[in-house]
Amino acid sequence: MNKNKEKLLNSRYRTEKRFQFYGKSAIFLALLFLTIFIFKIFSTGYTAFQKTWLIVPVTFDAETMYLDENPSKEDLEDADYFDLALQTMFDLDKSASEKQQNDLKKMVSYFFEREIKRELLNDPSLIGKTKDVYLTASDDLDQVFKGNYPRDLPEDQRRVTDYQLKIFDQLVEQGRVESKFNLSFFTYPDSREAELAGIASSFMGSIFSILVCLVIAFPVAVLAAIYLEEFAPKNRFTDFIEVNINNLAAVPSIVFGLLGLGILLAVFQLPRSTPLVGGITLSLMTLPTIIIACRASLKAVPPSIREAALAMGASRMQTTMHHTVPLSMPGTLSGTIIGLAQALGETAPLILIGMVAFVNTIPGSPLDPAASLPVQIYIWAESAERGFVEKVSACIMVLLGFLILMNLFAQIIRHKFEKKWS
Amino acid sequence: MKRNGVKMIKINSKNVDVFYGKKQALFNINLDIEENQVTALIGPSGCGKSTFLRCLNRMNDVIDICKVQGQIIINNFDINDKSCDVVRLREKIGMVFQKPNPFPKTIYENVSYGPTIHGMAQSKSEMDEIVETSLKKAALWEEIKDRLHEPGTGLSGGQQQRLCIARAISVKPEVILMDEPCSALDPIATAQIEELIDELKKDHTIIIVTHSMAQAARVSQNTGFFHLGELIEHGSTDKIFKNPENKRTQDYITGRFG
Amino acid sequence: MNLILFIFIVLLGFTSYYFGRKKAYTIQSTNKRLTALPQFYGYYLAIWCAIPAFIIYSLWAIFEPTIVKLLILSDYANQGYLDDELNLIYEKTKALSRGQFTGEVTSFIQTSSEKYLNLRSIAQSSKVVIVLCIIIASVAYAYKRISSNNRTREPVEKFFKAVLFTASLAAILTTVGIVFSLIFQTVDFFKVIPLFDFVFGTHWYPAKAFVRDSSEALDPSMYSDTFGAVPIFAGTFFIAFIAMCVAIPIGLMSGIYLAEYASYKVRQYAKPLIEILAGIPTVVYGFFAALTVGPFLKDIGTAMGLEVSAESALAAGGVMGIMIIPFISSLSDDVITSVPQSLRDGSYAMGATKSETIKKVIFPAALPGIVGSILLGVSRAIGETMIVVMASGLAANLTLNPLESTSTITAQIVVILIGDQAFGDPKTQAAFALGMTLFLVTLSLNIFALRVVKKYREKYE
Repeated sequence: MNKNKEKLLNSRYRTEKRFQFYGKSAIFLALLFLTIFIFKIFSTGYTAFQKTWLIVPVTFDAETMYLDENPSKEDLEDADYFDLALQTMFDLDKSASEKQQNDLKKMVSYFFEREIKRELLNDPSLIGKTKDVYLTASDDLDQVFKGNYPRDLPEDQRRVTDYQLKIFDQLVEQGRVESKFNLSFFTYPDSREAELAGIASSFMGSIFSILVCLVIAFPVAVLAAIYLEEFAPKNRFTDFIEVNINNLAAVPSIVFGLLGLGILLAVFQLPRSTPLVGGITLSLMTLPTIIIACRASLKAVPPSIREAALAMGASRMQTTMHHTVPLSMPGTLSGTIIGLAQALGETAPLILIGMVAFVNTIPGSPLDPAASLPVQIYIWAESAERGFVEKVSACIMVLLGFLILMNLFAQIIRHKFEKKWS
Repeated sequence: MKRNGVKMIKINSKNVDVFYGKKQALFNINLDIEENQVTALIGPSGCGKSTFLRCLNRMNDVIDICKVQGQIIINNFDINDKSCDVVRLREKIGMVFQKPNPFPKTIYENVSYGPTIHGMAQSKSEMDEIVETSLKKAALWEEIKDRLHEPGTGLSGGQQQRLCIARAISVKPEVILMDEPCSALDPIATAQIEELIDELKKDHTIIIVTHSMAQAARVSQNTGFFHLGELIEHGSTDKIFKNPENKRTQDYITGRFG
Repeated sequence: MNLILFIFIVLLGFTSYYFGRKKAYTIQSTNKRLTALPQFYGYYLAIWCAIPAFIIYSLWAIFEPTIVKLLILSDYANQGYLDDELNLIYEKTKALSRGQFTGEVTSFIQTSSEKYLNLRSIAQSSKVVIVLCIIIASVAYAYKRISSNNRTREPVEKFFKAVLFTASLAAILTTVGIVFSLIFQTVDFFKVIPLFDFVFGTHWYPAKAFVRDSSEALDPSMYSDTFGAVPIFAGTFFIAFIAMCVAIPIGLMSGIYLAEYASYKVRQYAKPLIEILAGIPTVVYGFFAALTVGPFLKDIGTAMGLEVSAESALAAGGVMGIMIIPFISSLSDDVITSVPQSLRDGSYAMGATKSETIKKVIFPAALPGIVGSILLGVSRAIGETMIVVMASGLAANLTLNPLESTSTITAQIVVILIGDQAFGDPKTQAAFALGMTLFLVTLSLNIFALRVVKKYREKYE
């Protein structure tokens, strides 16, 4: 009997150990996923912050630019730089065949003309002289230089030709290839060419959408929360509102996209693909989140504060506006920021209202067509070019950076300003 | 109970100190508990009597910041020793809490819980028997024998507490700790429980924490008086109530503070 | 012009606030007792100044275009134009008057355009006049009332309360908006495709409906076997099932560990770290699933001699499961923590070990809450879009093999609606019908789950 008991006890302890092990493994697995995730994004994305330049000697020959003597500033602006740019590239290998010349041209981005023009506009005295100019390398060479592109594939499976590689290697040997911080990733709008694609357009799109979302959702949500928490009579109708809010918080985001498409675009005829519509759609989505956060922090204000104010003869409205609402603000604000962070990461509804359109201008107002950061991630992730893979990861890093900042900010507000009621 | 004229000591505590974080809650408690007797611990609230009770089956382990020092010896074994197995200890020392806390399960499952986890029954009929005897000993059997498979939370407060007592005695513990078992009950239920305690002391050593001095006087043979984390005085109930040695005990007994 | 008028109204509102307050001080100086604080007099006047004006202003903005359109098109009435043609004429007129018209300008449109501009300017000026009149009238009325020291606090507070109430209707309006945006297209869809074919059909090829030209679009026979949603429903639930197979064990066990075992320190760090998983945008998960997990599974499959699609349901479902872990873990953590301590004490005092207490006492007690949180997780899995759009297939295969690709409701909605859509096309309507299905399914799951969780909370509060 005693021996049996001992055995049973041992097996009970083993079960206990096993159970604890399951728990620990679950936590470990969850954290492992997170780590793999972040590692993967960083390891594929960090190279996007560097950009490869070819340093090519350009002879600013007035004839090739079809310029007269002593050209004015306007002449320089209007001049045709294409032949000059083309000639510059052909000069890299004077014995190139026609096909090889085409290869040479494709070693740089199609901005090469503009880059040469900018150089001359900065210093018009260069006419007739030769100067080394930085030209953006094509995304394939960029990837080759970063070591992301396998060189040992057979030529017909590569996007880079053997000839291009040969010339490129020569340039590398001569120290004519340089890697520098990729500023254009932040200042250029989207482009079909990976080496020229930047996040400026989608970034502004995100900012405008979030601003529209904030301007609409915050006041409405706070007012609604105040009504429901402080004034609403307890009846069926308020119950119904409450059920509605809780359900809306769990409705899939894509349904809000259908709402935006079916009502905002089809009925109200608001302009398609714009941050205005995106922001309104997102605001409907974040509304319940903010209402719930605001109500929670209103609820946390102890009734004694309200009673004290009411006992002084303040009206209900005064009590609420002077005491309860200010005290609840830290919680409301941090809830709002978290709601906005959610909205910032939202993709599906924006795709449905057309913010997925290709936009290669930087939007100047919420009424201009734009993408948003997450939509940009989607667009790039669907592109076949290898150069976009690192761009996607880099864009994700920027987006995650913003989300982390917003969440930190929310935490700080909550911890610094929220009063703890004992 | 005296055997050959000698008091049989069941629990022997030596120099017990308890800390909640930095705050000391019990100071140097030395208290012997007699076997098969009811010992009452009395004192004003916050005096540490419940804390001491929870030391006896190491329930304070549940509270992270709580630290216990000193020796508590039961059956020649220090329960604060590292080699002590709390699971085995708690099998020997049962506990009944202030608020009835039946599990949200049927009455039967409530009582069979302890025997199941400790593997005390080999068959269904054995288990039925344990449940029946435990409920009978807890004086609950007659009232609920027809609804053993209804949830235990559906019983009245007094019945719930007796169910908790049945649950505690189902594993045949040597000692039963009772932490103000009647404080949430009405007078009739209280009387039933007190009667039950008297019955139970035949088989178990009972330690009861109580707020009510009348209750202590009614049910206990020995009494310990706690004040501000110290054990002021202990001895037979008769002596404590009729002829206390310490001034503070007297003041408390006569209701000058508390 | 509109903006100027708007700003003007706002400025007038502010000015009247100061006037109202000043009036209150004047009343006070004549030793009369005020009926409310001076600022209420200000609010009272400001509300009377701005609100009626805004109402007129908004009504005008809503009805002006319609009325102008009617007036312009009345010229073309009885000339046998179709509705579509009339709309086109109106659009041309508008474009011409904005100077953006590029086509051939006919004399008709030229005259209409002049009339349009003329009407617009009349409308503008009459709007300004009417709004100003309204402001003057209502301010005069209000000023008279405060001059005779009428009550001001009650009406002002009543007004604010009405504003608060209106705001609280936003939630209902959103729900109504969702239903409205879905219902018309859905009804139209079911006029063409019988409900039975949609719910029980096993072939889903919406692209087939797209290539037909619009003149035949109303012949239902050609859509048979095109909009059978069974493969999509199956795919949706299958992927959600895979996701829950990942999320429930990991989420639940980590929730239990965090609530019952973890020390304060571990909890303090592990909990927010796990919750980061919930904060990562779903498009990022989609990218991860499509670029890393899918090919990885395919490689493993090839190594083991299995045929694995790069867009397998397993990759999408697995990554979705990772996304849902934190929902399950933090909800079940909350639920478990709210089980009263007395139950734990009761079990420990019987000599139960921690895991016995959890399995036999805490878990049964917390079960309703845990079921609720799992259902919320399921609803999230069903509604998740970006992961499936990016990582699962877009062709709707009816399969139960996790290594093949399937499609889901949400993925199909995106596939159909991305780019330009023509309302009235059964393909577009199909997306709305799917949206309706999704809304109804998640709605009922949510209502049920929230009710279960709420009941559970009430039990232990």
